[in-house]
Amino acid sequence: MKQNLWCGLFVALLLIYSISAYAQKIGDPAPEFQATDSNGQTHRLSEHRGKFVVLEWHNNGCPYTRKHYESGNMQRLQKEWTALGVIWFTVISSAPGQQGYVTAQQENDYLKQMNGSPTAALLDPQGVVGRLYSAKTTPHMFIINSAGLLIYDGAIDSKATTDKADIATATNYVSQALEEAMAGKPVTTPTSRPYGCSVKYAH
Amino acid sequence: MNRLVWFFSVGAVGLALATLTSAHSPSDQHVKIELISEQDGIVPHGKIWVGIRFDLQDGWHTYWVNPGDSGEAPRIEWELPEGFAAGAIQWPYPERLSTPPFADFGYEHQVLLIAAVQPPPGIKDEKSQRIAARVHYLVCRDVCIPGQKQLELTLPVKSLAVAGSNVQLFEATRRRLPQPAPESWKISAASLGDEFVLNLIIGRSAGAPQFFPLEEEQIENAAPQTANTIPGGFRLHLKKSRHLMKPLSRLRGVLVVGSGKAYRVDVPVSQSSSNVHTQS
Repeated sequence: MKQNLWCGLFVALLLIYSISAYAQKIGDPAPEFQATDSNGQTHRLSEHRGKFVVLEWHNNGCPYTRKHYESGNMQRLQKEWTALGVIWFTVISSAPGQQGYVTAQQENDYLKQMNGSPTAALLDPQGVVGRLYSAKTTPHMFIINSAGLLIYDGAIDSKATTDKADIATATNYVSQALEEAMAGKPVTTPTSRPYGCSVKYAH
Repeated sequence: MNRLVWFFSVGAVGLALATLTSAHSPSDQHVKIELISEQDGIVPHGKIWVGIRFDLQDGWHTYWVNPGDSGEAPRIEWELPEGFAAGAIQWPYPERLSTPPFADFGYEHQVLLIAAVQPPPGIKDEKSQRIAARVHYLVCRDVCIPGQKQLELTLPVKSLAVAGSNVQLFEATRRRLPQPAPESWKISAASLGDEFVLNLIIGRSAGAPQFFPLEEEQIENAAPQTANTIPGGFRLHLKKSRHLMKPLSRLRGVLVVGSGKAYRVDVPVSQSSSNVHTQS
């Protein structure tokens, strides 16, 4: 009995270790996920092999997210890049009761009101996709290339503030990485500190 | 008629309240921010220490120069009389604010961010001088609220200034500022696999030392920092950030030892354990 307990503990520790040790780096295959969007549709990352995929972590109450939505910057990026065939997933990992948690209906209302046009808004209230990618902040941005490899992991741009006036003078790392990668060039800035509010995972 | 009067008075009160609250930012109820000086006046040829004091409501925090996994450090824009110059902010060592899977670096309850202000030579002692600062800051609990505050302080120019009532707070703040490492210490850093190893020949101290990196995205902030005792000190294991794209040449940060004292660390990182550089 005691032996079983130790054995179980060992396996549990091993599991925790292997999960925490797994943190994808630039150039690694992006972890596969499956999630349901605000219209009830299921999406898998692997369905989009052959296309660039952007992941945008989102919390509509976070002042850093609001900076990019109230200015229209995020919606403009969504329109611009999806028009060029990029898949854009807005991912919401706020747990129920936490800031940014939304029901499917609330998210659809929000997207309509804000003129948001991601390919889909993925609802991740358990934080499964968020923890899989170690998403830290809102907005934390990831880009996956057409071969399914991670090519960007970091901030939306170079100015870590809540001030809308800073958007015009910041370098947008997402657009820069997409432009470079689509032109077959190496990405100048593949990582940066993903500034913003912490993702409101369940405790 | 009565109802109409009532309607208008409620409207007027509502309007007045709205005007009143719009003059304050929503973060005001969670933090009080003041500009204070250590001395009661400016002495010609002498510098004066001023500080921005944050008094935070319980449960709320603001951030260190490297905020860690989320958040943002306060920014101060000085507005000084002509010829005056402000030095860099002196950041007291932070607390590790842990909310797994994240760790931020910041301050709870109270913090004073101090800077030295140097008046120009030949300043006359009849006029008062206005020192002002615009502070941009973020306060967080489970949610975050950004704020901006315009602060000012008017000080007379005198031939002799005396310490004011704030002197103890300035002194307490200085005790939390990172000091140069003692000459007898030997600190070295090596890159080993997915870790940086800090060899700290610093003698024994109660409790394990903690390292706070000055630069972002060098180590995984939330990873436990394991300290093993070695002859003459400790070996501290720091997990490399997954965002680190090329070998790091120097590790810069603040080491807080058991006694609650902080020291500056700025050492080259050797790429193997056999060839270890030291800071002496």
